[in-house]
Amino acid sequence: MSAVSPLRGGWSLALLGLVRYRVIVILIATLVIAATFVPGFFEARTLSLGIDRVATMGLIAIGLTVVLIAGQLDLSGGAILALSGIAAVGLQESMGQVPAAIAGLGIGLLAGCCNGVLVVLLRINSLVATLASMLLFRAVCHLITDSRPISGIDPFFGIPLTQPVLGTLSTRVFIFVVLILLLHVWLTRMVSGRNLFAVGSNATSAAASGIRSRWYLFGAFAFSGLMAGLAGVTFGIASNTGSPVFGDTIVLTAIAAVVIGGTRLEGGVGSALGTLGGLLTLAALTTAMEYQSIPAYVQDIVTGAILLLLILLDRLTHAKRGTDVSPTALLRRLSPKRDAARQHETERTPA
Amino acid sequence: MTDTKLDTTITGVPGTSRVTRANLGARLGPVIGMPVGIVLLLVIGTLLSDRFFSVGNLVNVLINISILGVIVVGMTFVFITRGVADLSVPATVAVGAILTLGLQPAIGTFAAALVGILAACGAGVVSGILIGYARINPVITTLGVSTIVLGIAQWSVGGVIVYGSDADAQAFVNSRVFGIPVIVIIFVIVAVIGHLVLSRTTLGRWVYAAGSNPDATRASAVPLARTRASAFVMTAGLSGLAGALLGITLQTARPAIGVGYEFDAITAVVVGGISLLGGSGSIPRAIGGLLFVALLNNILVLHGVPTAVQGIAKGLLIVGAVSLDIYLRRKGGRS
Repeated sequence: MSAVSPLRGGWSLALLGLVRYRVIVILIATLVIAATFVPGFFEARTLSLGIDRVATMGLIAIGLTVVLIAGQLDLSGGAILALSGIAAVGLQESMGQVPAAIAGLGIGLLAGCCNGVLVVLLRINSLVATLASMLLFRAVCHLITDSRPISGIDPFFGIPLTQPVLGTLSTRVFIFVVLILLLHVWLTRMVSGRNLFAVGSNATSAAASGIRSRWYLFGAFAFSGLMAGLAGVTFGIASNTGSPVFGDTIVLTAIAAVVIGGTRLEGGVGSALGTLGGLLTLAALTTAMEYQSIPAYVQDIVTGAILLLLILLDRLTHAKRGTDVSPTALLRRLSPKRDAARQHETERTPA
Repeated sequence: MTDTKLDTTITGVPGTSRVTRANLGARLGPVIGMPVGIVLLLVIGTLLSDRFFSVGNLVNVLINISILGVIVVGMTFVFITRGVADLSVPATVAVGAILTLGLQPAIGTFAAALVGILAACGAGVVSGILIGYARINPVITTLGVSTIVLGIAQWSVGGVIVYGSDADAQAFVNSRVFGIPVIVIIFVIVAVIGHLVLSRTTLGRWVYAAGSNPDATRASAVPLARTRASAFVMTAGLSGLAGALLGITLQTARPAIGVGYEFDAITAVVVGGISLLGGSGSIPRAIGGLLFVALLNNILVLHGVPTAVQGIAKGLLIVGAVSLDIYLRRKGGRS
């Protein structure tokens, strides 16, 4: 099938381009709306506060991006967040603050490995497996804390995490941004990152092509656990509290952010920068609506509607994904001299 | 891999599958496993506590599972059509509860419950169209629909907790007919109807077909999209009914009233040995899973085990049940 044939005129191409770059489009639209309603929205302080509120969820979203690209699902992030937060705060007295934080990270990694074993070794569907581990980790949290929040020994220890370092960006935002940029480089520039996409679109074919699919799947869950652990440790230290109920709704919102960013639940498609865009969209939207004192339930309606609309658009144009919608191609084909450009295009396209 | 004949034992569809001596264990395992497990739990419970095997306690267990059981019936349909799972249950339960109690003073309890169930069905229609016809991933669809529907339900009552005003309705739902609680009767009626629809009607056959091989099903001119959509409409409607019952019993409805029901329902269905891959399972098996979880919980509660340990038990139970199921399947397929 020639890539040009299903397209008639510039409109459908424009639509395809819109869908392809929907994260940017929706982000700019949200930012414009936010700027209209919130005076001083683009002041550095407002912006950094907006990003700061998604930093914790962002870390979980980083892990989820990898898991979703691998074609799996991880519901246990919130429970791991609570568990490693409790470890990082609760172990301070006996181990010291820094070792306790490292222990929290280790517990996150271990929990992720548990998920990996369930999915890869026992071959349990990832939705069910992480549902089970979510119940399990959450129960462990309640068991070791007796269902009560615990406090750390020194409330000043966590202050640097929320203090501005670079300009107005707080340390945890800085960690989050660096990690998501690293993830972007890994996913787009390195062989192992590209292999992850292969595993996500078809694990069996990837294995047949010499990729260790099962290790990639295991690694995705371990990584997701580690990221949830990092989220829990930073959140726990910053608030100097560990609670068994922390993060009970965070995963579903994080999945929404990742999917708004263009990552597909079916696996094999996704990007780190898209996830960043999705997170920023949610943050800007929430800030703008809260400033207008729109009730939380109306915010939910708006978020849900945007989520469904974006996926529906993605689905409707999925059949035409072979079309070249890179920026240069779009510019060339939507320019006034479109006919000439298309002539040129047809010549180059093999029948 | 030479065994190409239709494995009808696992699908639950009666057929001409042969049970040989070699595959006896694997074939019988899924069928008798659950009843044996439940009987075993009953024996263990009786040995551990003298309060366990009393009519009062067992009826309490039944009352406790009735509301969840109504949802489980719908969730079974979703699982069998390979619709993965319906995560919008908390929202539809809340819609049922909030509308029932909110409209109660204006139009009466029964009509209000009906409106609640219909509104929940409406949410199910939206998910069903998106999942069945537009073929969007069920997880994200039900998640999105859930957010929207819950938001609208809260908006309609101003985002506050709704209190009930009809004590008669509460008394009726909590009352007993011939010693059987009304709420249990409602659950049994729903379960029997669900079982008959699944095992005796064309829709039931379509549900199995859609789950076991979607491509072949479409090629056989079965309305695949409609079948899959109907599973979600059914789950939403039944969740609405469960929400209405919950609202009437508790006489309060807050937006978070249904939180956790989706995972509890999935747990019951999965423990019942019904695969997420679709095409297999039955209502009795799902109810069996529900009973198993409930009895286990009851034994733990009677023993004064902390709630947290019950959570651990539930998690391990899911892993154990699914691993066993996968193991039996693989063994059954090979022999």
